[in-house]
Amino acid sequence: MSGANRDSTNDVNSEDLPHTLLPFLQSQSQNTLTRLYQRPSACLSMFRLLPPLDRQLVMNLLWLESAVPAATMGAWVTREGRKLYDVALLNLSRLHILPNPSIKLSLNGTFKASLRQAIIGGGTDGSFGTVAPKDDKHLPISIEVLDAYAVERWETILHYMVSSGTGQLPTKPSPGVLFLLQRSGLMSSVHGSALQITSAGFQFLLHSPHDQLWQLLLQYLHMAEEREMDLVEILSFLFMLSTMELGKEYSVESLSVTQKAMLEDLRDYGLIWQRRASSRRFSPTRLATTLTSLLPPLPTATSSGAGSQDQGFIVLETNYRLYAYTDNPLQTAVLNLFVTLKYRFPNLVVGSITRDSVRKALANGITADQIISYLTTHAHPQMRKNKPLIPVTVQDQIRLWELERNRLKSQEGYLYTAFASQADYEYVLKYARQLNVVLWENPAKRCFFGSLEGHSNIRGFIERRTGGQV
Amino acid sequence: MDKSSHISVVLDLSPSQWHLSSLPHNPYPLSFKSFLSQVLAFLNLHIASKHENTLAVFGAFPGKSVMLYSSSNPASDSSDSGNPNIYRPFEIVDSRVVTRIEEELELIDDKEEEAPIGLVGALTKALCYINRITHPTTSTQSTIVEDPAILPDPRILILSVSPDLSTSYIPIMNSIFSAQKLKVIIDVCKVYGPNTVFLEQAAHLTGGSYVYLERRDALLQHLVMSHLPSPALRKLMAVPTQEKIDFRAACFCHKNIIDVGFVCSVCLSIFCAPVPVCSTCRTKFPIKTLQRLNASRAPALRPVNGAAKTSAPSTPSLPSTPR
Repeated sequence: MSGANRDSTNDVNSEDLPHTLLPFLQSQSQNTLTRLYQRPSACLSMFRLLPPLDRQLVMNLLWLESAVPAATMGAWVTREGRKLYDVALLNLSRLHILPNPSIKLSLNGTFKASLRQAIIGGGTDGSFGTVAPKDDKHLPISIEVLDAYAVERWETILHYMVSSGTGQLPTKPSPGVLFLLQRSGLMSSVHGSALQITSAGFQFLLHSPHDQLWQLLLQYLHMAEEREMDLVEILSFLFMLSTMELGKEYSVESLSVTQKAMLEDLRDYGLIWQRRASSRRFSPTRLATTLTSLLPPLPTATSSGAGSQDQGFIVLETNYRLYAYTDNPLQTAVLNLFVTLKYRFPNLVVGSITRDSVRKALANGITADQIISYLTTHAHPQMRKNKPLIPVTVQDQIRLWELERNRLKSQEGYLYTAFASQADYEYVLKYARQLNVVLWENPAKRCFFGSLEGHSNIRGFIERRTGGQV
Repeated sequence: MDKSSHISVVLDLSPSQWHLSSLPHNPYPLSFKSFLSQVLAFLNLHIASKHENTLAVFGAFPGKSVMLYSSSNPASDSSDSGNPNIYRPFEIVDSRVVTRIEEELELIDDKEEEAPIGLVGALTKALCYINRITHPTTSTQSTIVEDPAILPDPRILILSVSPDLSTSYIPIMNSIFSAQKLKVIIDVCKVYGPNTVFLEQAAHLTGGSYVYLERRDALLQHLVMSHLPSPALRKLMAVPTQEKIDFRAACFCHKNIIDVGFVCSVCLSIFCAPVPVCSTCRTKFPIKTLQRLNASRAPALRPVNGAAKTSAPSTPSLPSTPR
């Protein structure tokens, strides 16, 4: 019924949404972007972030030497594709990949040259990272160790967020991470006390790891200017990481000063691994190499939960009971945000969704849709046989609990009372109605309530009127 | 719409045809070397479009067909070349495809007569490969419930240079029908030589695009514009398809492509002349029909060995289902 329909439309929307990084890039100056486009690896990663139609347009134009009249390219577009095509052209022109798309279509020269170079190879700028020579002293790092490291780092951050204010004292992430969390508004400290998670932070916890990662990195980019770091250097390093190979060691030598400074930050986030802080080599983790893909950025089978994270671990019944096959403290803590937990076994947590637990979550700023989408994405394979996935009763009840909270709506304004006569009252009220600012009125008491915007007008009107009488 | 896709590329690697193609008297001579470099750029673009995109490359050599590369089983040699100027997956694909082709070409002995091209074998292998990746057996994949939305939509691209091989009519038609069943699109790019009837039909029947390459120096541009877009994208940006398709079939008896044929009323086998007994299903036809059919045929069409016998009446304008 309605619940299921709403879900499907949500899915469509989330698929069509452009990548979170694109609006940020679009807001950058042409100069910055052109400098970024000088690196083949950056062009390749950017290309991957584009929506599919945009990608096809870029590819169509990539191997052409001369500009194509816009009408010629437009002739290939079908009628139903027309709208998306126009959006794609606008999108590309904002990124300065396609200057002046209205008359002639031709790619930005720098972008074209770099992307061509990325596709066919060649050049000498080493933008895909220099592999470090074989290390005789140490064995090369294994992928399992890298994965474990990335998970440990990432979960430390999330666990710190989720358990702040609960009295527990989990391991603290590094000051750099704490600062980033504070700046991004995910956590805040009230009156100099310890950091507390904010409502944005609660919402953050329910996102997929991929979204979480980009949200933090985006904040990192926003902070770049304050820290007097070169945005182009940061972006190109992130893009370079995303094209690197998991399990290989790369040399620090070819990096710029800014990029060397970034190593420390990225190590804290779990994107790269280094044997020692002063090491001359580094390895990207899965978090880094999947930046531009849709693959899960965190390895499956994080704990003994038998690969639970990827496949989902939650079983939800129509009687609001919830079974979570996990022993991961982070997942338990996240569930605790909106579930009343009852029992805990070595690999199983049992709880139920109650009005109180959901209202607690809603008070923290989490929305009903976020709860439902979290349950959907982490549903156990057994649950996936159900249609709809989440029992309709539970889904609708969660939404109803949310609506419950919205019974009261506050609006600022002014109460106008003590009118001298009924005629006065009606005269002013009529004027206020014309302005469409009346929120409430009571003729018996000769008073009405007007919104904030209308106040100066009404006041002026009353003053003119009384002034005229005097 | 933005999901990963799979392309199986079938390369027609007939040495004699490539030699003919590179001769300078052609309007646009295309050497094998420049063909390969453009195809490699195309393969790279496919991998570049999306991290999850997968690829398989099959080579059709004279008399045999070989899998040159597949992303599920890339090169085993993890040489630490570490060229900092190229994206690693591209390097793997390119070097792997080139070395495998070299190896295979070395193996071809210099006989005067070139064996017929193994295009059908390559096509069948591509279909088998796609079948395997789209329907993972439950035993190997443990309990993972495959969401149909995350399975790649598979396509086959045939880059053909050899002319039609009329003996391969039945296997090609069978491949087309299994492709239809697997919902696989077959794209065809005719790089050299005359249009091939069978591949035209393959593209038409599976909803793929058929391109006859006239400007052969623009191979890459044609590949990118007409064969790279995924099926979802083709709804938004059109790709070229054939307007006129040659639907002629080949007879089962002499493997000739025929304009008018005779079809067995039981098993739908096609013959170029009326026959008394169907060679496929052993059905015997009444002698009267046979005489009537033979009488109605023009004397010029009468086969030399034409013993007056019967066959079922037919007008095969459409290819039938060989079984």
